[in-house]
Formats: sequence, structure tokens, C-alpha cells
Amino acid sequence: MASFGRFLTKRVLQGLGVVLGVITVLFVLRYITPGNPVDVIAPLDAGPETRRRIAENLGLDQPLYVQYFDYIVSLLQGDMGYSYRSRTAVAPRVFAKLPATLELAVASTLVAVVISIPLGVVSATRRHEFPDYVATLFSLLGISTPNFWLGVMLVVLLAVQFQVFPTSSRPVGFLETVGNLVVVSGPEQGWALPLNVDGFVADARNWLFHLFLPAVTLGTYFTALITRLTRSGMLDQLGQGYVQAARAKGLPETLVRYRHALRNTLIPVITVVGLQLGTLIGGAVITEAVFDWPGLGSLVIDAINNRDWPLIQGSLVVIGSGFVFVNIVVDALYARLNPQVME
Amino acid sequence: MSRDIERRKFLTLAGSAAGAAALAGCSGGDSTPTDGDDDGGATATSTDGETATDRPEPTTREGYLQRAGRVLNEDAPWIFLNQQYSVYGLSSEIEWTPRNDERIDGYAIEPQGSKSSITISQSSMDSGLDPHDHRETPTDNIVLQAYEGLLTRDAEGAIEDQLATGYERLEPGRVRFELRSGVSFHSGDSMTKQDVAFSVNRIVQSDVGGLESPQRSQLTGVQSAEPADGDNAVIVNSDGINPIVFAEFASYCDIMNRSWVESNDSAYINSNMNGTGPYMLETYEQDVQVVYSSYDDYYGDAPPADSLTIQGVPESSTRVNQLLSGETDLIVNVPPQDASRVQNSDDASVSSVASTRIIYNAMVYNAEPFDSVEFRRAMNYAIDLESIIDNVLSGFANRTAQPGLEGHFGYNPDLDPFPYDVEEAERLVEESGYAGAEITLHTPVGRYLKDLEIAQSVVGYLDELDNVSAEVQQRDFGALASELVDGDITTGPDFYLIGWGNSTFDTSQTILPLLTDEGELYSYVSEEVNELMSQAQSMANEN
Repeated sequence: MASFGRFLTKRVLQGLGVVLGVITVLFVLRYITPGNPVDVIAPLDAGPETRRRIAENLGLDQPLYVQYFDYIVSLLQGDMGYSYRSRTAVAPRVFAKLPATLELAVASTLVAVVISIPLGVVSATRRHEFPDYVATLFSLLGISTPNFWLGVMLVVLLAVQFQVFPTSSRPVGFLETVGNLVVVSGPEQGWALPLNVDGFVADARNWLFHLFLPAVTLGTYFTALITRLTRSGMLDQLGQGYVQAARAKGLPETLVRYRHALRNTLIPVITVVGLQLGTLIGGAVITEAVFDWPGLGSLVIDAINNRDWPLIQGSLVVIGSGFVFVNIVVDALYARLNPQVME
Repeated sequence: MSRDIERRKFLTLAGSAAGAAALAGCSGGDSTPTDGDDDGGATATSTDGETATDRPEPTTREGYLQRAGRVLNEDAPWIFLNQQYSVYGLSSEIEWTPRNDERIDGYAIEPQGSKSSITISQSSMDSGLDPHDHRETPTDNIVLQAYEGLLTRDAEGAIEDQLATGYERLEPGRVRFELRSGVSFHSGDSMTKQDVAFSVNRIVQSDVGGLESPQRSQLTGVQSAEPADGDNAVIVNSDGINPIVFAEFASYCDIMNRSWVESNDSAYINSNMNGTGPYMLETYEQDVQVVYSSYDDYYGDAPPADSLTIQGVPESSTRVNQLLSGETDLIVNVPPQDASRVQNSDDASVSSVASTRIIYNAMVYNAEPFDSVEFRRAMNYAIDLESIIDNVLSGFANRTAQPGLEGHFGYNPDLDPFPYDVEEAERLVEESGYAGAEITLHTPVGRYLKDLEIAQSVVGYLDELDNVSAEVQQRDFGALASELVDGDITTGPDFYLIGWGNSTFDTSQTILPLLTDEGELYSYVSEEVNELMSQAQSMANEN
């Protein structure tokens, strides 16, 4: 147990180092990127005096190390600065986008896991039979279909042509949906109001409807990846001595496969799923754009187009920290499942 | 009509005769036509061999601007490309006529049948809701639903009253606006002349209203405003005559409530609205959407819809899909390749209008080989502009021959675009002494509709000339803009594609910033144009 604690502490410290690295690299990038932010903020015909004043207001006239130190200190206080374009605080904007991104990342991971693990198992246990070929074909298609193309095709077919799903946007989020189930009580509202079940059902339906196509689009690629991983892992495990031993003891085949072999197969799968979740937090840019999903990805793209550096930095620091956090959790989980990694 | 032609012939002849004795830029044969009484005549084009110095002196401001347009056509400081169109997709459930200043006025959108709410999808959201603290069209579209100015424009660009009911020039540098009575802000406060004067001063003076307004240069020349004695009116003071003062107020200067501005901080003003317009803010979700509801105490008729939503959808194919599936009613910037898909749909249609934006290829006037007027003209002869517009822009653009656009004050209807003539282009290149020149066109990518594709076509044509080789260099807009606006003409590229929107509808606001050394973005200087422009800017508009 002590060694697990030490392992975790080490990982957390390493993670903090990585986050500091991300902050520093972003800070350096900002200054070596061509194009002065003032030129993007100021109208094309603004005079030099206006430009100078804008630079001064933004603190861009300070020496670099002062700007860097100020930035770190403000970050520690939860202040990510002000957007150049709208002059509003960055932190609330970034955190307002986080739920949408997390919903999409988790939903698409779920789509991938729910489809791919059974598919991988079936594929391994029925090797070189029809189900295996179908699963292999599916994986191949999934991996080789570009996300943006699949997204657009799903929209054109299921949203525009048959109008089963909405094309895009996110009118209601998970938190609002669940909010219906929170009992509001107080002297003003009247004590212990009944739960708004109808509201919850309506919102949940609406939320899932809007989430479905982006989650499927984003999940498909990972479905393919995890199916292949599960299949090969499962095949590997089924050939191991302990499986033979379990069979020899007369355990039913289902128990051998799902209780013993699958459990061990899932160890590397969890690692990959965790890493993918981290990637999804920052990498769902194209899917977010196609489905007008108001997450961090679209925020970053918009910020890059406007050279809005405080917003770019803020979003990327959050994305980077999210990635590091997921990695630490995966490592911890892995260490619990397979204590050998701690050595 | 015929009398006009006669007059122009006479003036041309008289001009030629007087040519030898004339001072540069002070005489000539241009008939200073005004819009509406001109035949758009075919008598004089850039190729007729006559020079500007042969023509009699213009007598009106419009005449000076038109003359400047002619000189610029002949001097070819640009490859004159196109006037950009605004292309919208409309659902069949609304009726709306697009405006040519790229603005969308929700008040003018009429829902059909029992529909009572309207949704608009545009490519980006606002940069904050303070109407004095921004300078781009997407934000304009969002703030102008709730805020109004003293004057406004109709769909064609003509000036109309809004919060003013009359306006007049008292003397050079002083104009007076009569204010509409019975106007109230969404907060319930009545609009006063103090509010109006404060709003003007907040834009043009650094120490009023807590901001350095980026719109200051959109009210060029305006110095201050003060409430008039006794009446419900405001006096606006400018330095000099400020010929375009009413045009400026028709596009800019939304009126805000002084006490509301003074009692709130910038963050609050940027996330709330308190205007006098037909729609008031209901909810604001930054970067996602703005929802408005009809303002019950509006001085005019109630808006046709009860509720209006504007959402930001950066991806153009997503906007098109939203329109086709009935999720939105109006989308901006339908890409040319999707126009037929929208047009062929039963539930949607395309509506387009020529915008106020011109796209051109600047050639820096004192950099080799562009310091030769022959070379610059050759560049214009070398490209098949008509084909570029048909094939790259699917016809959604107009060819241009001058900095001013049709319908703008000072547009010269007598000028034609350069014809496509490869032989003439090659001959002119030889004549310029720059045969064998290698040139590079710098272009932003994705900033303007099909910018890269236009640049590639231009360069394709130029490279086909026997004695010129040309290539494209793709640039990040921010980096390109930095080089262009630093006030030093030598740090930028010598040859670049850029666009310029002029929502004052006055030609001077394109020529001054781009083609005289007064401008922040100039690529060309000539004494003759400077002289014509300084004459034009010292006169009031004749109408």
C-alpha cells in the first residue's frame, strides 16, 4: 500500500511538471508565432498611437519574464487573463465549454466500449468464422473512414434526408438535465418540491438526440481500434496455461472466457481507453465543428483564428491538464490491476 | 440623355484643345455625371488614349471622386478584381430582402404563416455586446437587433431616419440632428439628447464612457457632440467640413443610455444590452447564441416575430445542413459550391446581393516591377476576370474597374474593366522594360470567400504570359495584416490580395485609406489623386 502511495505521488509530481511544461511551451509559442496580436485586435486602419495604447493595455509592452511570471501567478489564482477579442475573462469561458467536451468524450468512449468489447470477444472466440470476418471488416472500415466525412454523411442521411436526428448544436446539457432531479426546496419555492420528472425525461431525450450523431461519429474510430485490441488480447489469453488449467478443472467455457480470460484482456484495453479519453478531450475539433458542438475544440479553433492568445493558452492549459489527469488515473488503475508496474 | 452625350463630347474636345496649357489635375474632359442622369456612356474608357490632364476641372464633390476613380483606373495600382457578394440561404418560412452592407436586420425578417420565432445562423458570434467596443459585421448583426443609431440605411444603402427625425448641416463642421420623441430604452428610461451626445462622445473621445472605441475612425473628423439649447436635438462638431458625416452616422454610432453605461462596468455592458431597438435581450450564451424577445414599448410597429435567435456556426456545410433540415431560417455565407443544393431544395432558397466589399490585388507603386504603369496595366489585361468570377465564384461577384463600387457616392459609371487581352499584356510588359519579371502574389487563406482560389487563378493567367512568371504565396491573415498596417510600405509584400469593406457608401473611404499616403493600408501614391481627394474632402456632398 505504501508503495502505491509513493507511486501515485511520483505520478502526480510528474504530471505537475508536464503541466508547467505545457504552460511554458505555450508561452514561448505565443512569442515566436508571427503576427502581432495588436494587428488582429485593432482595425486595419488604426493609427500607431491606437496600436501603442492597445499594447499597453494588454501588458504587451512588459519584458517577457515579467509577463511569464505574472501569467503563472494569475493561473495559480485561477485567473487565465482576458480575451483579446472580447475582453472578457478567459477562465469562465473555458470552463463553460468543458461540460460539452466531457459529455462528447465520455459518450463516444461509451459507444466505443459498448460495441467494441463484445465484438472483440466474439471475434476472438469465433476465430476464422463468419462473425470474425464481419468484425474485422467493421474495424477496417471504422479505422479507414475519416471522422469529418462520416459525420457529414450521417448528417446528410439521418438529419437532412430522413430527419431522424437533429443536425447539430446542444440545446441542453447533462448538468441541466440532471438538474431536474435535484429537489429545489426553500422558503420561497415551498419546501420539498416534487422532482421534475417530466422535465428530466424531456431534457434527457433532447440531450441524447443531439448527442447521438457526434458520439457515434467520434466513437466509431475507437470502436475499431478497441475491437482489434480486444480480439488479439483475448486470443493471447485463451492460449495461456491458466485458461487450459481452468478448462481442465471442468469450469464452464463461458466462465473461463468471460470471468478469467476477458478480465486479463481488459488490462491493456483500459489503458488505451483512458488515453483515448484524454485525446478526445482535446482532439474532437473536427467533430465539434461538423456538429456545431459547443466544446473546447471549437473554442480553440475560434481563438486561433482570432489570434486570441489568452483564450488559446487558457483552453490548451485546461486540455493539457485534463490529459495529464486522465493519464494519472489510468496509471493508478493499472497499478491496482497489475501491481508489477509499480516496481 | 442625348444632351449629356453632346456635353461630354464638347468637354472632351475643349479639354484636348486646352491640354497644353493645363496644369496637371486641374483641367480635363470628364463630364462629372451624377447618378441617374448619366448614360453610363461608352465614350471614355481607360484605353481611349486621352489623359486625365486633358479634362476640365470637376465642379462637384462627386465629380472629383469620379475623376479620382478614372485616374486610378488608368494608373492601375491594383489588379481590379471583384465586388464580393453576400450570399444567404433562406428557409421558405420567412421573407427577407438582403441588405448590401452585409448587415442582417431582424426587424425586416417576416415569418410566414403561424411562425413566431426566427433563427439566424452566422459564421461567428460577437466579440462582446458593447455596441461601441467592436468593429466587425458578426458583432454588428448581434448588437443592432437591440441598439439603434440616429440614421440607418435601407436595403440599397440609401440613408433613412432612425432615432433622428431630421438632420441638417448648419455650417461647415457643424450638423444638427432632430431627435425622435417617445423613444425609450429597454430599461424603461426615456432617450434624451444627453444620451445621444454622450454616445457620440463615447466613441470619439478617449475620456468619455470608459473605453477607447475602435469605432473612432469610423466617425472620421467628428470631434464632439452637445445637446442643443431648448429643443430635442443634438449638435455634432467636426474638424473641417466632413462631407461624409451623415453617411458615417447612417452606419455607425449606436445610441446608449448614459446612466446605464456609467453605472455598469465593462464586463456587464459586454454581456447585457440596453438599447432602443425592436428586440431586447432575453438570454446571452457567449460563443453559442443570443436570444431576443420583442420589445413591447418600441416606438415603431412591433417586430414581426416574437422571438429571435442568433447562433454562431463556423462550419459552412453545417449551416447549410441546418437550413435544409429546417433548424434555422437564415444562414450567412452559403459557399458557392453549396448554392445549387440550397436552391434545389423545396424548403429553402438562395438570396444574394452585391456587398460593399472589394477584393483586389495591390501592386506597390514604388517597387519593381510594379513601379511601371505599363506593367500594372499589363497585369489587368492578362487575366480573364469574367472567367474567374464564373468558375471560381459561381457568378456570385461583380467585376470592378475602380476602387468605388456601383451605388457608392463618387462611383464613375463611365469606366469599364480591362478586357482580357494576352497580346496587349505581353506588349505592355515589353514596353515597361520588365520582361522576364518574376513576381509573387501573397494571399490570405480563408479570410475572404475563395481568396486562395482567386489568387491561384490570377497567378495562373499571369504565369501564362511569355514574359512574366508568377507564383502564389499563402499567408496567415494576421501575419500579412501586420506587415501591411505597420505604416511602412517597404515591410509588406509588393503584390498581395486583400479585401476592403466600405460601409459608408462613399468612395473616399476606399481611396483615402488605400490609395493615398494618408492611409494606413496604402499601396499607391500619386500627386494627382492626392490633389483630387483633397478637393473632394473640402466640399460638402451636393445632395
